[in-house]
This record gives sequence, C-alpha cells and structure tokens, in this order.
Amino acid sequence: MSLRVAIVGCGKIADGHIEEIQKMPELAQVVGVCDIEPIMAEQIAMRYRLDYFTTDFDRLLAEKKPDVVHITTPPGSHLALAMRSLEAGAHVYVEKPLTMNFEDSKKLVAKVQEAKKVLTIGYTYLFDPPALEMRDLIRSGEIGDVVHVESFFGYNLAGPFGAAILGDPAHWVHRLPGKLFHNNIDHLLNKVVEFIGDDDAKVIASGSVRRPQRFGDARDQMADELRVMIQGKSVTSYCTFSSHVRPPPHYVRVFGTKNVVHADFAARTVTLEAPAKLPSAIGRLIPAFEMARQYAQAGTRNARKFAKSEFHFFSGLNYLFRRYYEAIHAGSAPPIPYAEILRVSKWMDDIFAQTSAVPAKEVVR
Amino acid sequence: MSVLVTGCNGFLGVSVVERLLARGERDLVLLLRSGSKRARLDAVLKSDAAKGAKVEVRAGSLATREEAARVIEGCDTIYHLAAAMSGAAADMFLGTVVTARNLLEAAAARPKPPKIVLCSSFAVYGVADAPRGTLVDERTPLEAYPELRDPYAQSKLKQEQLVWEYAEKRNVPVVVLRPGVIYGPNGPAMSTRVGLNLFGVFLHLGGDNALPLTFVENCADAIVVAGQSPRAVGEVYNVVDDDLLSAAAYLSRYKRDVKPVRSVRVPYPALTALSHAVAKYHTFSRGQLPAVFTPYKTKTAWKGNRFENAKIKSIGWSPIVPTDEALRRTFESLRPAQ
Repeated sequence: MSLRVAIVGCGKIADGHIEEIQKMPELAQVVGVCDIEPIMAEQIAMRYRLDYFTTDFDRLLAEKKPDVVHITTPPGSHLALAMRSLEAGAHVYVEKPLTMNFEDSKKLVAKVQEAKKVLTIGYTYLFDPPALEMRDLIRSGEIGDVVHVESFFGYNLAGPFGAAILGDPAHWVHRLPGKLFHNNIDHLLNKVVEFIGDDDAKVIASGSVRRPQRFGDARDQMADELRVMIQGKSVTSYCTFSSHVRPPPHYVRVFGTKNVVHADFAARTVTLEAPAKLPSAIGRLIPAFEMARQYAQAGTRNARKFAKSEFHFFSGLNYLFRRYYEAIHAGSAPPIPYAEILRVSKWMDDIFAQTSAVPAKEVVR
Repeated sequence: MSVLVTGCNGFLGVSVVERLLARGERDLVLLLRSGSKRARLDAVLKSDAAKGAKVEVRAGSLATREEAARVIEGCDTIYHLAAAMSGAAADMFLGTVVTARNLLEAAAARPKPPKIVLCSSFAVYGVADAPRGTLVDERTPLEAYPELRDPYAQSKLKQEQLVWEYAEKRNVPVVVLRPGVIYGPNGPAMSTRVGLNLFGVFLHLGGDNALPLTFVENCADAIVVAGQSPRAVGEVYNVVDDDLLSAAAYLSRYKRDVKPVRSVRVPYPALTALSHAVAKYHTFSRGQLPAVFTPYKTKTAWKGNRFENAKIKSIGWSPIVPTDEALRRTFESLRPAQ
C-alpha cells in the first residue's frame, strides 16, 4: 500500500522531495502540503498539481491523516512539528539539522522510540552512488582497518541560497546558534560518523570569516570557514567546511591500514590509491596510469547509468526515501542509525560552543 | 508626501529614478537593501536632474508586513519594481509575490491607500494557443495554465493577480505596466526570444519573429508617465518601443557590432519537434535532465506574435530614444574591451 505523505515547509528543498516522491507511486504519494505562508503553500501545489494545501498544520494532520510527515521547514520548528506529527501517529522525515541542539535531538529520538515510529533525516549524500560504492569497498576489506577520515564540504555563497542569506540580515540562518555552519555541516560530519563510534570523541573546532565586511549588521558576523578535528579512540578525522575554495570540493577520504579510498561526490567517482608495486623510478611511473584506468572505469560506469536513466541529480534523496519507506512497510531498521544522528547533533553542539564567538575582521588581500 | 521606488538599484530601477527626477518629482524615497553596490544609482543622484530634489535612501525590505508598513511610511505613490529575476521557484515566489503581498497589505491598511505602480511583464500573457502572428495587446488573456510555464512567469502572474485583487477588494489604486523585453547598457545581452546558448553554440530560435523590445530608458519613462497620469489608475499598459526589430535582425546586428557568434538557426517546426523530444525524454528518464524545452513553452516564446504600443501612447508617452540609437548604445556597452 502506498504511504500517504504530507510535507510541511514549502521552500526550495520541498521541490526535491515532491519530485522524488512522485517517482515512486508504488511506495508513497503526496497527499498535502503546508506552509505558514499561504503563497508558498499555494505555489508548490500549483506547480506539482497537488489538490490540498493549507497554512494550518493541525488541520493537515487531522484531514489528510498522513502516514509520514516530511519536515522541510527552517530548523527552529523541526522539534515542535515532529512532536505533533508523532502524536498524530505519523512517521517523521526531518531535514537536516535534526533540531537546534543535542538536548532537543535526544528528546525527539526518545519520542520516536516511545511512539514506535520510524525517523530519518536528510543525509542524502550517504546514499549517493559514491557513498554506496565506497561502503561496499570498505565492507569487502579492501582498505583494511580505518585509521583516519577526511571530509571536505565546499559551499558557494554566491549560489541561490547563499545569495538569499547574504541578501537579508533577518534570514533565519543568522538566528541559528551555529549560523551558516548549523544549516550545512550535517553534510560534513555525517560522512565521518559511521567510522567514529565513541560517544565521547574529542572535538576541536575553529571558525573564521573570510569575506570582506560590508554590511554593518548580523551578516558580517557569519563565519564562513570551519576546520574541525575529531579524535576517537581508534579513528581520527579532519573536517573542512569552506565557502571560498573553488570549485567547491565535496569528498570523503578514508585512510585504512591497507589502502586509501577517495569518494568524490561532485565528480561521482570512487578511487583507491595506487601503491607503487615496482621498485625505484619505475614504481613512480605506474600509479598515474593506474589512476587513469580507475577514472576511465568510473566514467564509463556513470555513462552507462546515464543511458539507463539512473544518473539523477538527487540520486541519494531517491535512494534514502525508498529505504525509509521500505523500513516503514517492513518494520525493519531505519536507514540511518539513531545513534549516528545523535552523535552528529552532539558534535555540532561541541563545534558551535567553540565557534560562536568568531571575531569579525577585515580580510587583507 | 513622497514617491517610493522599490527595486531602485536594479537594471530598470536606476533608470526609473532618473526619469522620475527628469519628470519633476522632487521628493523621492528609495528602498535599498543595506550593503548594496550602488555606483550607478549614485551617479544618477549626483546628476543635474537631482539638484534641489529631496532623496531619502531608506534601508529595509518587504520581507514582512511590518517591515513593509515601515518602508512605505510617508509615501503616496509607490513604484514597485522589486522582483526576483532568478533562482529556484521558491526564491521567485518569496522575492516577487510574498513581497508584493506585504506591500499591498501595508498599503491597504492605510486610511487612504497609496497608489501602486506595478512593473509586471509580458510573461503574464497566455499566448501558447493563439495563432501565429496574433497581436498581443492589453486585452490578450492572462496565462490560464501557469503550471506549464517557468517560475518567472508563474511568479509575475501571481504578483499581478494579487495587485488586481487588492485594487478590487481593498480599494488600493493601481497602475500596471507590462514591458516586453527590456534591454540597454548593463542589461542582459540576449533575450531568450532571440535564442539560447547551448554548449557554446547559439541556437537562434526566434527566426524572423518581431521582438517586443523596449529600451531601458524608454521603458522607465513609460512607467513614470503612467505613474503620473491620473487617467492611468485601474489601467494596464503594454510597453514596447517603435520600430521593432526581428530576432534575426537583432542577432545579425549583435554579430556585427558586438562580437562574432557561432549560431545555428532552428526553424520553428524543428524546434517544435525538439521540444516534444525533450519533454518525452524528461518523462522517460524520470527527470534525469530538466525539460528546458516543452511544447507549451516553445509555443509561448517562439511561435511569433505582433505587438503594439497604442494604449501607452494615448496617455502621452513616446520613446525618448529611437531604437537605432538605443541599439547602438547597448551594443557599444556590450562590446568586449580591446
């Protein structure tokens, strides 16, 4: 039976949700949308030919009785909306970040477990083709034991969302405890969290503003560069969030005792380091060809997927939705373990505690 | 009481400020977001026409009704030009429609609502099913199938519908202008009505269709003429210049005066076939590539219409810069530096 899905929050990301759900009618269908702003609710209903839109969330829950609620509002309202959805008997899919802080995240997870519902979060890159392929390699023992993980998430402040944040000093991002980081670094940390299982890993963070100061208001205080070191018992990690590196990098490198795997989310490639197998200068000659072979293979695989219409921009979102809906149908484990969601939430608290007082400074170039 | 201009720092807005000053407005309030780059606006405010005029630059936004109420304080005429020109659909609706609603609410809440002069767009017309060569004038029906159009057209249509709703139900005096393709120095080089750049080749899609061009200064002047005319309240005016060029003539003059462009002319029947193929692939691949062309959008943009400007001329406007001179100035600004 197809799940009845309601969406609350009709901003940009809601488009992606509706488009992907409309591709899987056998699993789910959108039965209604809600936004506090009537114009936003109406526009999305018009564009996707949905017949139910409202500004009243409780009415949506009562009238459409959704099996699942996707919460795509700004983070400040996630907890309250998720709680109301759970009370109305719905499962909840929450966009990242889960809530405003670790305490709230724990409250939400406890409520989900008490209500015997399934929760997931928009960690879509964990289900993009490179992440799936990388996980297969690690599982096969190809890289040995994990020693260290490096995650890089580049951000473009000149993009549509960045422009919206910088264009409006009252934008909700400026009111988040971790500001720009708060809305983005789930994607930085969630690629690391499966490798660092300890709950008391040490987190050291440093944030800074690299943009020239030009507004004279809250916007100038928004840090745009972040470096994080996470020290677990046996695995460590460096995480970099940068708004200035071009082209914006987006990758994770997992360093093992046997090999190093590099998963590039922007290029959709997964490569293994090529160790020198032959002695002396000859040994230095081979790796470049070996890397070329791997990239050619990855490119061919991608082209084949494209030909089969399996190379979508939002591949991870689609995959995650399917896994999530299947978990609901089957009553099986959620696609993302709650312990990992909570660990990311805790790390974020740790990071914001260290980066909240970023001194604004003029960058000299 | 003052005259407020929203979007005063944009491509069209700077010219509207210039024409307001030239047409004798002496008390202006300009809504500007803090941190905006405003060299072009400042040049207008330092010109001779601005001498003796009182100009207040008001920092603010129309993001909420309360903010909008503060922004329009002390103003009895509002030239509303602010709109989102790009971005995702949600950005366009937030930047164009929600802001307009906030402005209209603030206006309607006043005992004597200020007059709103709205810069709408040709995009609001529904011409897909009209025969080729149909004359587009102010009586042409509005788009009946917005879901088949792009977010710019969707948001401008909704914005204009809201304006008429407030005019009717809340007694807000309104004047609506629907410019065609606005061009000029510092503006976009090529309208999609001429064609599209695709992987380094310019697809000339507009053939010999007439382009509804209006030079930015002419368009700004039309907006001010309508804004100042007591007869214009409750009316809508299309804005296009005289001596309209065809898409082919525009492109060949661009090649001659700006830079060589590798272009391929796509005849309308071929374009129609291509649109069907693109739309079909979009469905077949479950949206792997965006539907850049659809048969409906193609009919709207490239089937070909005729345009006229009789109504706006009837209230005393005529182009202040002839098309030939306007093209010369535009192309000169676009020419790559030697």
